[in-house]
Amino acid sequence: MPPILRRAQSFAALLAIFLLAIIISPVAADGSRIFLELGNLTDILRQISLIGMISLAMTFVILTGGIDLSVGSILALSTALTAMFLTRWWPTASYGSHIALAIAAAVAVSTLAGALNGVAIATLRVQPFIVTLASMIGLRGLAKWLTNNENIDIGFGRDVAARFAALFREKAIVIGAFAGAAAVFWTLLERTVFGRQVRAIGDNEKAAEYTGLPIRRTKVWVYSLTGLLSGVAGVLYAAENHQGNPNAGVAYELDAIAAVVIGGTRLAGGKGSISGTIVGTLIMGVLTNMLRLNDVDSNVEMMIKAVIIVLAVAVQREKNA
Amino acid sequence: MPESLLQVADVDKRFGGVAALRGASLDVRAGEVHALMGENGAGKSTLARIVAGAVRADAGRFLVDGRPAAIASPLDAQRLGIAIIHQELDLFPNLSVAENMVIGNLCFHEGPWARFRRMAEFCRPFLEQVGLTCNPHEPAAALSIGHRQLLAIARALSMNARLLLMDEPTSSLFDDAVERLFGLIRGLRSRGVSVVYVSHKMDEIFRIADRVTVLRDGQTVGTRPAASTSPGELIGMMVGRELDLAGGPRERGRGEVVLEVEDLTTSRLRNVSFTLHRGEVLGVAGLVGAGRSELGAALFGLDRIRGGGIHLDGVALAPRSPREAMRRGIGLVPEDRRTEGLMMSMSVRENASLATLGRIARLGFLRGARESAEFQTVSQQLALHCPSPAACVSHLSGGNQQKVLLARWLLLHPEVLFLDDPTRGIDVAAKQDIYRLIEALAAAGKAVILVSSELPELLRCCHRILVLREGRVTAIYDAAEATQEAIMASATVAGAPT
Repeated sequence: MPPILRRAQSFAALLAIFLLAIIISPVAADGSRIFLELGNLTDILRQISLIGMISLAMTFVILTGGIDLSVGSILALSTALTAMFLTRWWPTASYGSHIALAIAAAVAVSTLAGALNGVAIATLRVQPFIVTLASMIGLRGLAKWLTNNENIDIGFGRDVAARFAALFREKAIVIGAFAGAAAVFWTLLERTVFGRQVRAIGDNEKAAEYTGLPIRRTKVWVYSLTGLLSGVAGVLYAAENHQGNPNAGVAYELDAIAAVVIGGTRLAGGKGSISGTIVGTLIMGVLTNMLRLNDVDSNVEMMIKAVIIVLAVAVQREKNA
Repeated sequence: MPESLLQVADVDKRFGGVAALRGASLDVRAGEVHALMGENGAGKSTLARIVAGAVRADAGRFLVDGRPAAIASPLDAQRLGIAIIHQELDLFPNLSVAENMVIGNLCFHEGPWARFRRMAEFCRPFLEQVGLTCNPHEPAAALSIGHRQLLAIARALSMNARLLLMDEPTSSLFDDAVERLFGLIRGLRSRGVSVVYVSHKMDEIFRIADRVTVLRDGQTVGTRPAASTSPGELIGMMVGRELDLAGGPRERGRGEVVLEVEDLTTSRLRNVSFTLHRGEVLGVAGLVGAGRSELGAALFGLDRIRGGGIHLDGVALAPRSPREAMRRGIGLVPEDRRTEGLMMSMSVRENASLATLGRIARLGFLRGARESAEFQTVSQQLALHCPSPAACVSHLSGGNQQKVLLARWLLLHPEVLFLDDPTRGIDVAAKQDIYRLIEALAAAGKAVILVSSELPELLRCCHRILVLREGRVTAIYDAAEATQEAIMASATVAGAPT
């Protein structure tokens, strides 16, 4: 099957869920469907933006044949650092540069954490699952230790932290960040040497070695990018929740992996797309929204998602074979 | 005349588009050592694995003790008293010696619980029989290669095997282990066990075998008693393929020396020396495992050089990675295009441009037009047939896949190109295209090293042919004066004239 059709297939799944959501949507007093209200649709986008961003980077990791379990812990570390920089350190700077500094520091530390994952995987040749499992545990510990395992409240006053939160929880900013990241990552994968190398390494690492591709450097970059996007997601998380929570982002890695594989990326690497991942993220987001609008128990929601994940991947597998 | 234990006739087997066996036959008598010989790819291992039930034949007749038998699985073979010792020794490395022997063994009645003492008792007589003294509870991985082979044989004996198939059993053994193995085989024969010994090592065959069957291109050429044949006759039977390949190496004045290899020693090579000139095609002949691919690995930075040296254009070369070798102008088309060469889910064009991404990109961004243009030129040069440059490479025929891999290296314009068995498993027309390409490269002043398992191909394409045997150069022939028989003798017979 040509790639166009394969991609159309996950679009079809998204469309089906979208239609179902419209049909079963509760109706407002004026007869309109709540699901279709602009506010609800943008809510969906805002809700998926953080996981969506992480999924973009996770797509690259999985394309190389790897996995990154540490994204949730990196997000927590970034969230905690952002809140700490904003509330506990008082540089004699303007609000603007204070906020910029806090974000830059949190994202830099996150990127560094991702880079360390990449270096360990590429040079020690330990499996990505093991390395990122270890950093998932270790970084969570670091986040809790730095914060004494307490939420760092950002508050709603007129101080720099509150201003930061007010700005970066705007729907336009959050959704814009996701859209921007999606555009950048799509371009990276489809239009650059780096993206080509990512796919080639995941497709056949041995052949990539025989072709002289820079395998180690590429892997370090891929995991660094995951750290970077998890860090950005962490900053937005702090704004959205008005706090730096060292226990944030638990199980985000699993949601991100689910979005990537629903989007048709092969877990063994080499095959996949950013558009697929975006569709996968949207499917999960619309599904959640649809179930919540209809007051479905959140535990039942998890069960339904479980079925969707297996079905989505099984259908694509059959068709691709 | 002793009667036949196993008679096999008209066996056909295809793997995908490639015919591995075409009407092969084999007749093994009770209590004999029967050697199965043939060149690389002649079908020896396939035939052995069919008899052992590890591979199912597409067609064929099988008689055991004169009665028709169906061998559809290893279990069927076990019931008939047939066992195989695979080249890779299919043991479970983390299970114990005793567990390895009883698992799947119809002669050991295992209850639902593992009873280790009973297992050990069951194993002891067979381990003694093969002369393996070890603790039956230690893991198989703790044994040396030679001892693991003895364990595999003990396992076969414990299954009441009357026919033991051994696929290249000495390929990973040292001399003393080979002696012990031969002693064991003679002991088995004296107890009435038949042994089918798959090998292409001439000296071993004459030491151990009673009769020899030769396969060529999936067909049985004939069976000879070892006592009344000679290495010369067997080689003739093995290579008797007609030289149907038109053309031959162009007579060319040699250019200057481009590559000088002196006393090159690696983990698998011993003191290999040769020179390579511009415009020259140097053939490399030898059996699988003789060090042909390892020569490429050393030149291409995939294996560490332990001794001797390489000079490229007079400058020392000791690449530590393919990248480094590529920068110096060396290209390598690996032996196995599926596992070492192509990215099977990427498109034809993407596969072709993979070694030259830096050239088709600007500031890291791929330039599609540039990529297409470069692909067009090389695709014409190779007579590459594909539905579209964007088609997935996995949809192409073997020959066209090989051309895609060649395209990748041609785009790099290497000074020295190492081709490791580039025509393996591809059709005749594609082979001719590849021969023409090799000629064109040589005519353009490039140097080519061509590894091949097909001697006519080497005689057709090369100016000189270097023969490797067990990591050493045993001969370098001028193609004009070389014969298939002479090359085969240098590749197989110890102490052949060099």
